[in-house]
Amino acid sequence: MTRRVIPLALFLSLLFVLQAFAQVDPGVRGGAAGAGAALASVAANNPVTILNFFNDAKARFTEIDSVSGTVAGEDGFGLGPRYNSRSCVACHAQPAVGGSAPAVNPQVADATADGARNTVPSFITSTGPVREARFPFFFDQFGFPDTNRPNGGVEDLYTIVGRVDAPASCTSASGTGIPQPGFTAAINTGNIIFRIPTPTFGSGLMENIDDSTLLVNFNNQQNNNVGVGGTFNHNGNDGTISRFGWKAQNKSLEIFAGEAYNVEMGVSNELFTQERPLPGEDQNLGNTGLPAACRVNPTPEDHTNFNTTAIGTLSDTVQFAMFMRFLAPPTPSTTVPGGATSIANGRSLFNAIGCAVCHTASLTTSPSRFTPSLGNATANLFSDIEIHHMGTGLNDNVSQGGAGGDQFRTAPLWGLGQRIFFLHDGRTKNLVTAILAHDSSGSEANAVENNYDLLSASQKQDVLNFLRSL
Amino acid sequence: MFRRTTQALLFLCILPIARAQESDTPTVPLRKLPTDVILVKGAVPSASDTSTPLPEGGVVAKDVYNNDYFGLSYALPSGWFEKYKGPPPSDSGAYVLTLLRPGPTDKHSSRGTLLITAQDMFFTRLPGQTAKETIEQTKETLQPDYKVEHAPSQVTVANHAFTRFDYNSPVAGLHWYVLATEVRCHTVRFVFTSPDPALIETLIKEMDAMKLADANAPLCVAGYAEAANSITYKVDPTWTEQKYNAIPVRIIIDKAGKVRHVHVISAFPAQAKAITDALMTWRFRPYLRDGQPVDVETGIMFGSAPRAKASAATSVNARRSSD
Repeated sequence: MTRRVIPLALFLSLLFVLQAFAQVDPGVRGGAAGAGAALASVAANNPVTILNFFNDAKARFTEIDSVSGTVAGEDGFGLGPRYNSRSCVACHAQPAVGGSAPAVNPQVADATADGARNTVPSFITSTGPVREARFPFFFDQFGFPDTNRPNGGVEDLYTIVGRVDAPASCTSASGTGIPQPGFTAAINTGNIIFRIPTPTFGSGLMENIDDSTLLVNFNNQQNNNVGVGGTFNHNGNDGTISRFGWKAQNKSLEIFAGEAYNVEMGVSNELFTQERPLPGEDQNLGNTGLPAACRVNPTPEDHTNFNTTAIGTLSDTVQFAMFMRFLAPPTPSTTVPGGATSIANGRSLFNAIGCAVCHTASLTTSPSRFTPSLGNATANLFSDIEIHHMGTGLNDNVSQGGAGGDQFRTAPLWGLGQRIFFLHDGRTKNLVTAILAHDSSGSEANAVENNYDLLSASQKQDVLNFLRSL
Repeated sequence: MFRRTTQALLFLCILPIARAQESDTPTVPLRKLPTDVILVKGAVPSASDTSTPLPEGGVVAKDVYNNDYFGLSYALPSGWFEKYKGPPPSDSGAYVLTLLRPGPTDKHSSRGTLLITAQDMFFTRLPGQTAKETIEQTKETLQPDYKVEHAPSQVTVANHAFTRFDYNSPVAGLHWYVLATEVRCHTVRFVFTSPDPALIETLIKEMDAMKLADANAPLCVAGYAEAANSITYKVDPTWTEQKYNAIPVRIIIDKAGKVRHVHVISAFPAQAKAITDALMTWRFRPYLRDGQPVDVETGIMFGSAPRAKASAATSVNARRSSD
């Protein structure tokens, strides 16, 4: 017995020593939020009144929506009939308004808020990431995923059934109301993927980078020695480069806002004018779309207002875009975590091993008619806004625009230091795990990830410190 | 009751078979989606036949990387392996042929990687048009984080002319030794990365044993399918859904001027089919070398994305873009 215990103790001691020298994710950077403020020229009210627009837009971004707009404290109008959450800020909250998924998932409370009778799906937990769900394929009549019928649209988690402000005809206990999607069957057949909210800090700068700048950057990176190819996603109508969303599928912040308002909160608007059914619910296959009883409000629920003040004239969608556009980029730390030397070293290593081929450190914006801070500015976004093959490990079998199942936009890394969840589905809180996930069959990042593997533990720690300083 | 149960069980047993007969793909009904397969693809490569070698068709077998298209046969360093396949070729004609790394039985007991890539020079976005020029461009655009060890120079490896360039990153303690050559109008690169320069030198010496280039490969000629005086018949491909992607295509034209092989390097399936169907009807004047007709391989760019060079196909696509 003693013989066995000693080697075990030695082994455990050795393990402890090894772990002491192994690199670790420093975790979410503490201190004040390095994001959430307005761009400098917006904060300086240049041009005059722009700050009012920003403040109004922020208020709308934080407003909770109800179906009727008459629930106390929930003045927004038009929630549902299907939704993922009840305000923009519910999901875009970390580390400040406009960010990504917060530490406490609001979707747990959203399920039953105001009398709603939803079941919380198993993949939604109070400490997990905010998630939207998608079924990569439609199901056949036997309940199996039909790989000849790609789906990929968002399956909203919840319905307004049972809410105090939903009509009784859409709240029938007998099931005549709209059901939640069949998440259990989707999980059992592996036909479900997740997406978490993208942070929106600095997105006005991203919007204002000209296509030509992106193309020059693309051409410059073609001579790399790490096997990166890359391409762009394009807007389906005019063929220009699209750039927002996990697969760069959205052309502009206004499209991004309008789609999110409609898809995530169920609010019809001037860009997405109807109440949104689930994917397939309105396909011409015998389905009849959303029941009239659940289409509660006249559409579009969010629209230009004709009888109010200048700011009040604008629709929520326009103001959501304005808020994101005027948010300043995250401010990195020069000393935390790990100290200035480690961060500087990590930045050099990040470049040397090839991360910066795709995670382009900075791009320059075009002149802006909005406000001076958006024009001719250096956007330190750490992204090329291209889509890249990320291999079987990150593949989600969802096609959006020109992006296939395993193609994703290079995630902008600014603000990474204060993000909690990583990768498109929020599968990890650990930065090391996120880095290693770049390596899988079919990924363009394999050689770069191999270069990372070639670094010493202290060098890797420097890279992690640098990333968490952003 | 028993009878009904038996019938129901029989039905459930037959069901998968019946479903399998309804469709060619998948042949076996999926009860649960595989987790490691990309079922929904973006732009991918395709070819008009399955017998003509393709650049992306290389495989590692019995510790040798074989690529019939490039006539490349490279014995892996002892103990090294290909852990993962690379991505599909890009829409600018960039290939990851293989990425090799040491396994647990590596005899060198050191660490490093060998990345073998190819760039189709018909579709390159780089200013350099040769292996030598692209490597020199690598040196000229080297970021401050790197330090030149040896400037680009001409070397012979496996009886083949290469341009070699060595550089390192002092902060990372890593060395990159790059050897590039040209095969069939592609720049093929061997990129060695390691903290151990001696290891890389050993591996470069071992490269002498490899075979490279197929003497029977068709002659590659830039722009042959884009020169008005070479084409005797053509129809423009049409497809309904515009994706705005660049679509690089290589074709092999036989001695009689017929297209005998189409390789769509990157396209969506409907685009690939339309282009392949159209190109197979194109006719050319036979390409003459020393007065004799020879098989010739050339490239054409379709699609709406920016391209490196003006081409005859531009007019085809300009019409499409105005739709």
